[in-house]
Amino acid sequence: MAMEDVSASADALKSEGDAMATNGSLRRGRRRGSRRTHVPVRTQRQRLAYVLLAPLALFIGALTLYPTALTTVQSFFREDSLDPQHNFIGLRNFRDAFANPAIRQSFLNTAIYVGFGTVASVGLGLVFALLLRRKSRWRAVLLAIVILPWALPPVVEALLWARIYDPSFGPLNGVLVAVGLISHNRVWLGSNRWEALLLIELVQIWQATPLSVLLILAALQLIPKELYESASVDGATAWHGFRYVTLPLLRPGITVATVAAITGSLNIFDQPYILTGSASATASVGLQTYEVSFQNLNFGQGYALSLIMTVATAALSLVVMRVVYRRVEF
Amino acid sequence: MSRLRSASRTHDLKLTKPRRPRFRLAVVAAAAAALAVAGCGGSSGSSGGGTSGSSPNSAPAVNTGHIGGSITVAVAYPSPPASALAQFTKQTGVKVNWVNVGWDDLQSKIVAASTAHSYFADVTDVDWSKVGEYYRLGWFYPLNRYFSVASLGSDMPQLSTFVDNGELVGLPMDSSFLVTTMNMADLRRAGITSLPTTIPQYTADLERIKKSGVVAHPLNVPLQAQEGLSTYWYETTAAFGGHVLTADHKAAFTSPSSPGYRALAWIVSAYKSGLVPPGNINMADYAALESDMAHNLTASSLSEYSGDVATIYNLPSVSKVVGQVQYIPTPSVSGSPAPNLGNPDGIGIPRTAHNVAGAVAFIRWFDAPKNQALWAGANGGHDAIEGFPLPAENSGTAMLAESLHGSGGITELSKLLRTSQPVFQNGAPPWYSQFSNAVNTNIHSAAAGQESVAAAIQAIAQVVQSQAS
Repeated sequence: MAMEDVSASADALKSEGDAMATNGSLRRGRRRGSRRTHVPVRTQRQRLAYVLLAPLALFIGALTLYPTALTTVQSFFREDSLDPQHNFIGLRNFRDAFANPAIRQSFLNTAIYVGFGTVASVGLGLVFALLLRRKSRWRAVLLAIVILPWALPPVVEALLWARIYDPSFGPLNGVLVAVGLISHNRVWLGSNRWEALLLIELVQIWQATPLSVLLILAALQLIPKELYESASVDGATAWHGFRYVTLPLLRPGITVATVAAITGSLNIFDQPYILTGSASATASVGLQTYEVSFQNLNFGQGYALSLIMTVATAALSLVVMRVVYRRVEF
Repeated sequence: MSRLRSASRTHDLKLTKPRRPRFRLAVVAAAAAALAVAGCGGSSGSSGGGTSGSSPNSAPAVNTGHIGGSITVAVAYPSPPASALAQFTKQTGVKVNWVNVGWDDLQSKIVAASTAHSYFADVTDVDWSKVGEYYRLGWFYPLNRYFSVASLGSDMPQLSTFVDNGELVGLPMDSSFLVTTMNMADLRRAGITSLPTTIPQYTADLERIKKSGVVAHPLNVPLQAQEGLSTYWYETTAAFGGHVLTADHKAAFTSPSSPGYRALAWIVSAYKSGLVPPGNINMADYAALESDMAHNLTASSLSEYSGDVATIYNLPSVSKVVGQVQYIPTPSVSGSPAPNLGNPDGIGIPRTAHNVAGAVAFIRWFDAPKNQALWAGANGGHDAIEGFPLPAENSGTAMLAESLHGSGGITELSKLLRTSQPVFQNGAPPWYSQFSNAVNTNIHSAAAGQESVAAAIQAIAQVVQSQAS
């Protein structure tokens, strides 16, 4: 049964039970002739649930809802540390931000990071998950190795890859020259903007892929073997099994992995900052938001950019949910 | 197969969400409440301004003698030896927690903490370029109450850089300025017997070093889009005979014949013609010096920092060019040495400091001429701070020169210091951070071939125009 059906049934049973209890208590009340107002048991349980959840809800609200709301409101005000005026300016922060060619370019850069990063990290996640699905004595070790990049902080990884890409001392050049793929050391993050963008996103993919692997592997392990057995009895090949059984049933896992990849790529900051500094050719929106806020001290524009990214993250996630997600029944 | 397909279609159900109007109502109500609270309470939070241009008397009075407590010192230098800090603690009772943060990251930390009015250090960096900004924002206590500008000024040649409208925003913690270095061994190997005095001669010598095979890419320029590239352009502009901004902070580099325009074009041309290592396109200043200059991958830097000879190139642990690199007068268009621009770091007391008395005592101790000489290497490597340039005081420099008997380039530096000038004639503008960001990102883009020199100049000039208007 689908999980939602189970919970709906449970709710129905609970309602019946509560109704019986309520009626019972009301009946008891009536028999005794009391005029007391009885609170239904279900309502009491709901109130208790809300009371117990209230501290956590307040905590989450203070850390997420309030800052989001503050960002939203302040993005329509002048908030420049070097200009003491604080007044409502409507959409001017947004207009001024988009009038900046470096910021416009950062949106394009971020779109490239998201497009390439999401496809690559989810695709690689699927491949690795399929490879790791089979139980073997090496699986735990391989899984640990795959997860390792995810365990490292993004700054550490960016510094590591800065060394790898180093044109004078980096092992990338060393290996490629040694195997004869290139004849002399190359500058990897140099004049070619597209190359730099892809190499920067490669670092982010390296970090994000392990999460995709875990999410998709978890979803893979829920698929009953009987489906594959019955498919092979029907004459299905491995490819048919993958296409008509695995992929459809993996949709929930792929959805979550895709949303996580999109969120990670949209918010990319450490990798371009460490690898190429403030260069506008590779800067992300996150990096530009930092520059605008903490270098230029124009927090109003920074709020505006943050709001745009929040809306973009939510919108893309919704699109993925609509297009990719399907309820799965076994 | 058909059973398989129909089986998969069975699974291909649309997601249906149960109708939960109360839940949606609760979410909307929470969001509305958050917006309302944010709208009412968010009006003053983020600008972070203190009392700009405040009276020097706004700084609290402090006691001298035994003070006690602890202070956090957050600067872009490694700490002095533990024995030296222990001596300070013994004298004042103040325990020092030293935090060494990279310069660029430290500036972000200062901005973040100051705008949030939160404590992060009792003493921290006040760079020459930030004086105008910090004065306008009021993030630091004026130090006039504790240090006399009149009496210190004669011994601290760069003190005036830290004064804005009479307010002493910070005290110089070193006497760094932008200098030109040359690997003399490379020069000799290329058959060059005299130092270049003009920019064309300098360029020709670099090309000769390259052609002779001594060094493949002889010129060091850190082209990563960070502050080190901005200061490189300022010094190169001085070499071409001018300043980047006028006295009233207008752009002085827009004409193709102006020193700033020519300097930028020269930097870009040097990179594109192969005088600069290709990998420098993403190298920051100290990374380029430590990996390129110190390993003889480059032979000269038109602009780097005073003190690097003693604290990088002559240290066997990090350098392969010990004894080879020396400071030279910066070539110019006229043939007379170009001025070396001041690049000092200072230290100040943020308004969020917890132990102001301890901070004042620390600044007095750290800036004492005798200690400054020690940080710069007067006692050999024993008390030196790695990367520390010249002492902030002339008297400290004299002590250093005497103890080093002229080695480490001190004699040459002292001569250059006499003709040093500030980068901006009337101090750094309050919008310096935005200007510097525009400078280094556009020079980087031009060198990488992503925009022309003219476009880079125009983009930088636009920032100046929008800020100055």
